Amino acid sequence: MNRGIIKKITIKLVSLILLLVVLNYIYKFFFYEKDLQRYSDVINLVRAVPNDVDIVYIGESSNNSFRDDDIDKRPISALISDYFPDLKIYDITKPASHSGIYKILLQNIPEESQVKTIIVTLNLRSFNTVWIHSKLETSLQKSMVLLKPYPPIVNRFLLSFNAYDIKTEEERVRQIKEIWEKDTLHFPYKFPFKNVLEWDKWMSKTGIKGADGKRDWDKTSLACQYIKTYGFQIDTMNNPRIKDFDKIISLAKMRGWNLVFNLLAENTEKAKKLVGKDIVFLMKENGDILKKYYRSRGITVVDNLNVIPDDQFINQNWTTEHYAENGRKLIAKNVASALKRFYPDKYKEVEYSNILQTSFFNNCEDGVIWGQMSSVTSETSFSGNKSSKTGNGIKYSIVFLYPLKLIPDSLKNEIDIAFKVKPESDNHNGALIIQAKGRNFKNFSQNFSLKGQINQVGKWQDFHQTFIIPDSIKDADLIKIYLFNPSNNIIYLDDFKIDFE
Amino acid sequence: MLFNTIDYILFLPVVIIVYYLIPHKFRWIFLLAASYYFYMSWKVEYIFLILFSTLIDYLCGIRMEKLPDKKSRAPWLILSLFTNLGLLFFFKYFNFASNNLNLFFQEFGIPQDLPLMKFLLPVGISFYTFQTLSYSIDVFYGRQKAERHLGYFALYVSFFPQLVAGPIERFSRLTPQLKEKHTFSYENLANGLRLILYGLFIKMVIADNLSGIVDQIYSSPAKYNSLDILTGIFLYSFQIYSDFYGYSIIAIGSALLMGIKIMDNFKTPYLSKNIAEFWQRWHISLSTWFRDYLYFPLGGNRVAKSRWVINILIVFIASGFWHGANWTFIIWGSLYGILYLFENVLNRKLGLKKKHPKFSAVHIILALKTFIFVSFIWVFFRSQSFNDAINIFKLLFENWHVSTASLSIPSSIWIFLFIFIFSDIVLYNKRFDTWIDRLSYIYRWSIYGVMIFAIIAFAGVENFPFIYFQF
Repeated sequence: MNRGIIKKITIKLVSLILLLVVLNYIYKFFFYEKDLQRYSDVINLVRAVPNDVDIVYIGESSNNSFRDDDIDKRPISALISDYFPDLKIYDITKPASHSGIYKILLQNIPEESQVKTIIVTLNLRSFNTVWIHSKLETSLQKSMVLLKPYPPIVNRFLLSFNAYDIKTEEERVRQIKEIWEKDTLHFPYKFPFKNVLEWDKWMSKTGIKGADGKRDWDKTSLACQYIKTYGFQIDTMNNPRIKDFDKIISLAKMRGWNLVFNLLAENTEKAKKLVGKDIVFLMKENGDILKKYYRSRGITVVDNLNVIPDDQFINQNWTTEHYAENGRKLIAKNVASALKRFYPDKYKEVEYSNILQTSFFNNCEDGVIWGQMSSVTSETSFSGNKSSKTGNGIKYSIVFLYPLKLIPDSLKNEIDIAFKVKPESDNHNGALIIQAKGRNFKNFSQNFSLKGQINQVGKWQDFHQTFIIPDSIKDADLIKIYLFNPSNNIIYLDDFKIDFE
Repeated sequence: MLFNTIDYILFLPVVIIVYYLIPHKFRWIFLLAASYYFYMSWKVEYIFLILFSTLIDYLCGIRMEKLPDKKSRAPWLILSLFTNLGLLFFFKYFNFASNNLNLFFQEFGIPQDLPLMKFLLPVGISFYTFQTLSYSIDVFYGRQKAERHLGYFALYVSFFPQLVAGPIERFSRLTPQLKEKHTFSYENLANGLRLILYGLFIKMVIADNLSGIVDQIYSSPAKYNSLDILTGIFLYSFQIYSDFYGYSIIAIGSALLMGIKIMDNFKTPYLSKNIAEFWQRWHISLSTWFRDYLYFPLGGNRVAKSRWVINILIVFIASGFWHGANWTFIIWGSLYGILYLFENVLNRKLGLKKKHPKFSAVHIILALKTFIFVSFIWVFFRSQSFNDAINIFKLLFENWHVSTASLSIPSSIWIFLFIFIFSDIVLYNKRFDTWIDRLSYIYRWSIYGVMIFAIIAFAGVENFPFIYFQF
C-alpha cells in the first residue's frame, strides 16, 4: 500500500469518525428518548428511583408476586421498609431478570443519586442452564442494549445489528440439552445417575405413585421439573451469572454502595417430598457455594434458602420464588436484620397486627397494592397523579381482593362501594363487578352498570353502590371487586373506597 | 451469520485484512476456511452436505473431461445431477412430495402414510447445488475444463459472499478471479464499502421496516379494509425487492473488497416494460441459469410454436418450484409463464416491442402495468397456501367497509420508501458504487451520512433473516 492510499484512507476514516460524532448528537437529542421508550422502557423503573433514596431493592417477580387471599399484598421491598421507617427504600422490579439485567440497570442509576445500599436478589434458579438459556432471554437482552454504557449511537448500532444474545427457541432448547448431557453430577456418596438427563429419564419412567397406587402424572411431571431446575452444580469459574454478579460488586465498590445479596427461598420441602434428599443436597450445596463465594468478597448475603414452608409458595405446580404474604414477610425480616449492620439506629422491630380491616381505600398512588396494578396510569387522575385506566384491551381496573371469610359475620352485612370515574365516551359498557368464590358455593358474580349514575363524558363523577352480602357467600375464600370494561372506550377510575358494614 | 448482524460486521474486515496480508498461494486456504466457518455458523452439520456435493462434482468433472464423447460422459453427469438434485429433493421437496402423495392415497382410500422429515432446510442448498450443477453441465458439453485443484473447486462452491443466497455464479467467471492474485485496490475498497452500505440501507431500513407491516396484512387480512390490503400487496413488492437486492449487493460489495467481481443480480426490475424484461432484470443469475441450462437444452425458441409455449411454461414452473416446495410457488411460476406468453402475443399484435425512450410516457405506463402485474403475482409467493392467496384477492374486493384494524405506517417509512424508489429511478441501468463515485465529496458524504444514520437509527430491530435464505 503506498502513501497516497494510506493518506486517502486516513482522511476517509477521520471523515467517518467526525460524521459519527455529529450523528451521535443528532440521534441523542432527537431520537434516543423515543427509542428508549420503544425498546427499553425498563429504564423508567430506574428513572422512577428518587435521587434522595437510601436503599434500592432490585429483583424479579419474587418481589411483588402475591396470592389473591393475601391481606397485605405489598412487595418484599415495601415490607423491608416497615423496619426502617426513617429510610427511603425504593424497588426496581423486572420480571424474569437476573444478574446480567441488574448489572445494566444499576449502571444506569445516576451519579447524583444518594443511594447508599443496594439489595440484589440472588435467585438460585437463575444460575441454572434452563434460565441462562431461557427463551425469554432474547427479549430481555434486547431491552438492555440501548442502556449499555456506550454513546447512544453505538447502542442503537448494536441494536440494529442484533448484537445481543439472539437465538431461536430451537437453538436454546438444543443448548440446554447439550449442557444437561455434558454436566456430570458429583455427590459425596454413590449416586446412580450421571447427569440430569439420566435422572429425569428415570423419574419420568418410574413416576410417583398416588394414594390409589396409580401413577400420579401431575406429581411426576413436577418432580421432573424439580430435577431439571435444581439438578446442577454452580461452577464459579464459568457461570455467566457469577461473572455478572462480580461486575455488580465492582460497580458497587466504584460507587461506594453497600451491597446485600438476598438469597431467595426455594421450596426445599416440596423438592424433598417429590424427588428426595439428593435434590435438596444440590440446592443446599449451590446455596453454600454462593454464600461462601460472596461472603469471601465482603458482601452481606442473606440466607433465605430454607426459611419458607411449602404452603407459602404461591405456585404449587411449578418451581418459582413467588411467596404468599407470610413468606414475603419472613424474607423481609431476614433482609432487614442484615441491613441493621448498615443502619443500626434506624432499625425498628415490627409486629404485624392481626386487627381486621373492614375499610379499604386505593387512590392508585404508590403504597396500596391491589390486583391489576398494571392498569395504573399517569394520564389523568382525580386525586394525586395516577388513576386506573380501562378499555381498549384493558378490561379490568385495579381489583380489590380479600378473603371475606376472615371478617366476622357481624361486620359483613353489606359492602359500601364508591369510586370516581371518568368515561371518555358514553358508548361504553363499564360495570362494577362483585365476584366471590368459595368451597361451599358455586362461584358468585353480580354486576352493576355504570350507565345509571354516570352520564357525563370527560368529567370525573361519583359512582356509589351498596351491596347486601348474601349469606350464601359470607364464607367466601375470596371476594373480588373491580370495574369491568370490555369496550374500546376508555374509562378512568380513581379513589376506590370499599367499606364492609 | 447474516450480513446484517454484528457477527458479519466483525467477520468481514478480519477476512479482508488477513486476505491481503497473507501470500497469494495461501489465500485459497484461508478463504475456504473462512467460507466454511461462515457456513457452519448456521449449523455445523450442514458442512457435510456441501463437502459431499463438492467432492462428487469435482470427481465427476475430472472423469467427464477424460472421456471422449457425451455418451461416455453421460453417467458421470447423471451422477452429478442425481447427487445435487437428490440432496435438493431430500431436504427441500421430500415433505412436499410426501404430503401430496399422502393426500392422493387418502383420496383413493389407499392405506399408506408416507413419513415426514424433521430436518431444517440447509441454508443456501438451492443456490450452491445449482452453482455446482452448472459446472458439471458445462464440463459435460466441453464448454468448461475440469478443475484439478480441489481447493479452488471447493472455494468456487462455497465462496462465502454468495454462498447462501447467490448470485449463482458460473465457474468460468468466478474461479479465474479466485485464482488471480489481487493486490489491494483503493477503488475496490471504496466501491465495495459503498455497495455494502447501500445494501444494508435497503435491507435494514426498507425491507425490515416493511416486513412488520406486510406481516400484519398477510397474517390477518380479514381485519383490514381493501385499501390497506392493496397497500400491503404493493409494499410486499418493495419488501422482497429491497430484501433480496440488498443481500445481493452486500454480497457483490463483500467480494469486491477482495477484488472479486460477482455478477449483478438486479437491474431496476420494477422499471421493466414487460414480464420478459422483468425477468432479465430480476434475479438475473437464476433466470440466466434457467435460460442456459433448461430453456436452451429444451430447444429454446428454435422449435415449433407449440413446443416453444411448452418450453416457456416448463422454465417458469421450474423456476417457481426452485423457490419453494409449495403449490403457491408453482402457481407463482406458472402465472409468469402465462403472462409472458400473453404479453408476447399482445406486444406483437400492438407493436409494443419497439424501443421506447427511457422514462417516456409509454415507458412509465408500461412499467406501472408490469409492476401491478408483478405485485399481484407476488401474493402467491408470499401466501402460505393457495387458499390464503385466494382469500387475499377475495378480501381485496370485499373489504371496502371493514375497519376492525387499520394499517398504521409511520411517516419515516414512507419517506425512506420514497428515497428508495427515487434512488432506484436514478440508478436505472447504473450501479450505486459507480453512480455515487461521480458525485462531489460533499454530496457523496451527505448521502453516506443519511444512509449510515438511517441504518443505525431507523433499522428494524427484529431479527429479520433474508427472505431468500429459506430457498
